[in-house]
Amino acid sequence: MRGRNAAIAVSGLFAAAVLGGLAARSNRPAPIRQPPREQAARQLDLGAATLAGSVLFDSAVEHYRGSFEHRGMYVPLAVASATIAASLSGARQPNRMRTGVHVLAMLTGVAGLGFHIYDISKRPGGWSWQNLFYAAPVGAPGALSLAGLTGLAGQQLRTGQVRPDSQSGRALAALAAIGILGDVAEVWLLHFRGAFHNPAMVLPVTIPPVASLCLAGVAAGAGRPSLRTTRGWLWATAATGLAGVGFHAWGVHRMMGGWRNWSQNLLEGPPLPAPPSYTGLALAGLAATRLMEEAHE
Amino acid sequence: MQTPRATGGRAPDVFTPGGWVPMREYDESEEVDFVIVGTGAGGGTLACKLAEAGFSVVAMDAGPFWRPLEDFASDEAEQSKLFWTDDRLVDGENPLQLGSNNSGKSVGGSTVHFAMVSLRFRPEWFKSRSKLGYGFDWPLDWREMWSYYREVEEALAISGPVNYPWGPPRPRYPYRAHKLNAAALALAEGCEAMGIPWTETPIATLSAPRGRARPCVYRGFCVLGCSTNAKQSALVTWIPRAIAAGAEIRDLAMVGRVEVDGRDRATGVHYHRGGEWRFQRARNVVVAGYAIETPRLLLNSANSRFPEGLANRSGLVGKYLTVQSNQAVWGISGKEIRSYKSPPSLALTEHWNYQDEGKDFHGGYCYMSQGPEPQLWANTQLASRGLWGEALIAEMQNYNHQVGLKMVGEMLPQERNAVTLADETDQYGLPIPRVTYSWCDNDRAMIGHALDFMGQALRATDARDIWKQTDDTCHLNGGARMGDDPQTSVVDADCRSWDIPNLWICDGSVFPTVGGVNPSLTIQAMACRTGDRIAAMARRGEL
Amino acid sequence: MSDRYPGYDVMTKRNGPSWNDVTRRVIDNRLATPKGPRFFSAAEFETVRSIADRIVPQRRHDPIPVTDFVEARLLSGQGDGFRQAGVPQAGEAWRKALAALDAEAQAAHGMPFRQLSGPERDGILHRMQNGDLHHSSWGGIPPATLFTQLVARDIVFAYYSHPTAWSEIGWGGPASPRGYVRTGYDRRDPWEAAEVKDGDDAAAIRKNRRVR
Repeated sequence: MRGRNAAIAVSGLFAAAVLGGLAARSNRPAPIRQPPREQAARQLDLGAATLAGSVLFDSAVEHYRGSFEHRGMYVPLAVASATIAASLSGARQPNRMRTGVHVLAMLTGVAGLGFHIYDISKRPGGWSWQNLFYAAPVGAPGALSLAGLTGLAGQQLRTGQVRPDSQSGRALAALAAIGILGDVAEVWLLHFRGAFHNPAMVLPVTIPPVASLCLAGVAAGAGRPSLRTTRGWLWATAATGLAGVGFHAWGVHRMMGGWRNWSQNLLEGPPLPAPPSYTGLALAGLAATRLMEEAHE
Repeated sequence: MQTPRATGGRAPDVFTPGGWVPMREYDESEEVDFVIVGTGAGGGTLACKLAEAGFSVVAMDAGPFWRPLEDFASDEAEQSKLFWTDDRLVDGENPLQLGSNNSGKSVGGSTVHFAMVSLRFRPEWFKSRSKLGYGFDWPLDWREMWSYYREVEEALAISGPVNYPWGPPRPRYPYRAHKLNAAALALAEGCEAMGIPWTETPIATLSAPRGRARPCVYRGFCVLGCSTNAKQSALVTWIPRAIAAGAEIRDLAMVGRVEVDGRDRATGVHYHRGGEWRFQRARNVVVAGYAIETPRLLLNSANSRFPEGLANRSGLVGKYLTVQSNQAVWGISGKEIRSYKSPPSLALTEHWNYQDEGKDFHGGYCYMSQGPEPQLWANTQLASRGLWGEALIAEMQNYNHQVGLKMVGEMLPQERNAVTLADETDQYGLPIPRVTYSWCDNDRAMIGHALDFMGQALRATDARDIWKQTDDTCHLNGGARMGDDPQTSVVDADCRSWDIPNLWICDGSVFPTVGGVNPSLTIQAMACRTGDRIAAMARRGEL
Repeated sequence: MSDRYPGYDVMTKRNGPSWNDVTRRVIDNRLATPKGPRFFSAAEFETVRSIADRIVPQRRHDPIPVTDFVEARLLSGQGDGFRQAGVPQAGEAWRKALAALDAEAQAAHGMPFRQLSGPERDGILHRMQNGDLHHSSWGGIPPATLFTQLVARDIVFAYYSHPTAWSEIGWGGPASPRGYVRTGYDRRDPWEAAEVKDGDDAAAIRKNRRVR
């Protein structure tokens, strides 16, 4: 069955990217207590990989639904896989190839946005709720750009191209704040499409916005809220992303035929791979707070 | 199904294969507050409202009590078990087609196989004589109906567009619209080419889970019964609520006669169940058998004090039967349409309901996308186009490419269009109905306009070989119309008969006019209003 | 006629998620419909078959048993829910129509309807459809009504109640619990019939073999 083969192929791609990335990671003894810069870089690596993983599986499912009508629909799968590998490999030295992958991810996201906008504009109804709900999602490709940006930030931090100071912390906080906000918009749109039929559907449009606001405060250098509070909301956002997979699995079960009818319900039910994008962005936000902390110290 | 299921203190649980829910039962000798004849859009809704208001209610239906999850096959022939296929005669210049088209025989009535299109009347239609110059005024105010429409839309979790393009503002539909299928996209393209608005059809099938009901899987068998419970029929909405509130549903119970005493008060109903005639006493009788069975029952209940039938001193019982024009244009698209997927009518335009300029006829119509299943489609090719033999087999090869637009148009009420009793009798020994129907010039003018306009719209897509289906009608209304004057109507605004104060009629047969939209939402809204009015009257001691 | 959906057989989905138990039961029963006359006499049965051969012509090894299906529906006693005033109930109306067709065939060709050639049968059926038959054996019932609302209708319904006919037109067939995902223009789920595009039969066959 084609659906099953495709699922196996994408999982294999994911596993290869993760294992390849980790294998390429420079093999060195971990210090007892890592410097905050190292911690922040690792969080960024992980955040980028999580975001890219979410994009890999989500675009695989959505583009499979779209029958891979254009060859271009395979691109995000390839680029997201490369981003996972590049992010997890944790380069110590400036590395053109890794930089190239991250930049490619950023550009692919922008190109995807263009394609998705084109898809909406050519449909009857144009910029209508119908097309925002059901045509190619406007926000989704942005996650790949964010993965690229986050991965690049991690790499530059580690290689020393960017100094772990308060300025870079604030820039990173702003990036994460905007990223989370974009994700919130996408989630709100799709949960509105689902009429918020389950009260839990409100969680991902209430917790992450608070985290985003906190990060915005941090980015603005307002001094409030505290880094501790911000971190709390970021961890809550990260948890929301992981819990979302569980909620969505429950959602698939609630469709007609449940998991037995997976060939329909994995596509029509709530998307399993989407929620962890929150986790990836929250990790980027946590990295930002780590840098700020170091600057304070 | 031959044996009643709702017995022994329990009723089928529509959400669980083989499941049951407890159901209160009433003794036949007990005089219940209300016995309701019919459990569809009118009777099912009213049973819920009255039971929730604290009345003792027994609601009877001639049809079986299905559990859709285990009883409904994905098969056209098998699912004809949902239709009222008892013997009926048709005549007139334009004899109607009944059965699958418009008549259900199940607990839940025709809502078990309706197309779920849930539209509000245009406000002016409630006063079409005064405001638009044709038909008759309803004794109801549109603003009041507007609030009852809301109640029904919430009860059915209607999936509809975020913004509705026509009429006064309405609250947002509880659930979001479904994704459009190709047939609906073709409607949208046609409308955009013609420069008129279109929208997603507000429809009574779930776009997200709700309670124990699962969302639509776009299997497309909607008018043959929904096997997933996504369809918010009376069977899975009002009826379970009614039972939970203490109503008793008696399935496979055919009411043959309403008994009226010497003081002109209804005392109960004679009904056939389990192979014998029985009698249920009641303080009030509600007839909700739809526009053919309701007049038939009233006429069949004639006695010495009401020799012309019950509630018929106006002579209007059975008169002014009014259907809706249901003509279509069809064509072949170069693209694969596969309109068998998804609910059949996901997009529509009400432009010609709200636009009065440029019409040479009274009334309005909407038109929608379509998605016939193979048997129906083959029969359409035969009956409407005369195709058979190699021509039919060849044309059916285009099934996945056919695309069409179908109207629901307002026909004008005419006294000559009527339900009367025939000499022949049915399996219960009851005289069968004779349904007489002829179109008027206005009907023909509207159909002509719609076919021309829809033809242009379809031509604006890539559809070719376009042809017109000129013969179809849908939805039954009238036959016991409501009004302000006992001389010219059968019931008052509260659906209470003028002649027998404890006899009520609550279904599409009370419609004085039909409007250009599917009637189910209006029937249910009216039933909700009637329920509230009865409760208010009871509080004031006016029952 | 060239096959538009080569290799597609809706029955390959029987054990998949598109069919539920009640559907399997219903279709199994239909495919096990007894053969031969039960409602009609042997002669009437042959006449029905000779009509069905013209209404839904078949050139397959294992033809759809249209006549048996027509019988089954008449035996079930289920009507359509309406009939024109003056037209008897379905079973009786069928017998009258068959007798009248024989009478017309005798009058025109000197033999019963079922023994006429295909074109001769077509000729009479066309005149029946157009209401252009006037033998007294119609008994005042309009032949056109009998054709469109009974005889041809029952035959067409019978034909398109068979999975072979569903496969022929590329219909998805039964669909519960699994319905459909891809519903836009030119969109096909992997469990739907693939039609031949640009004359590439092999591609369609390959896709149709994978339908489950």
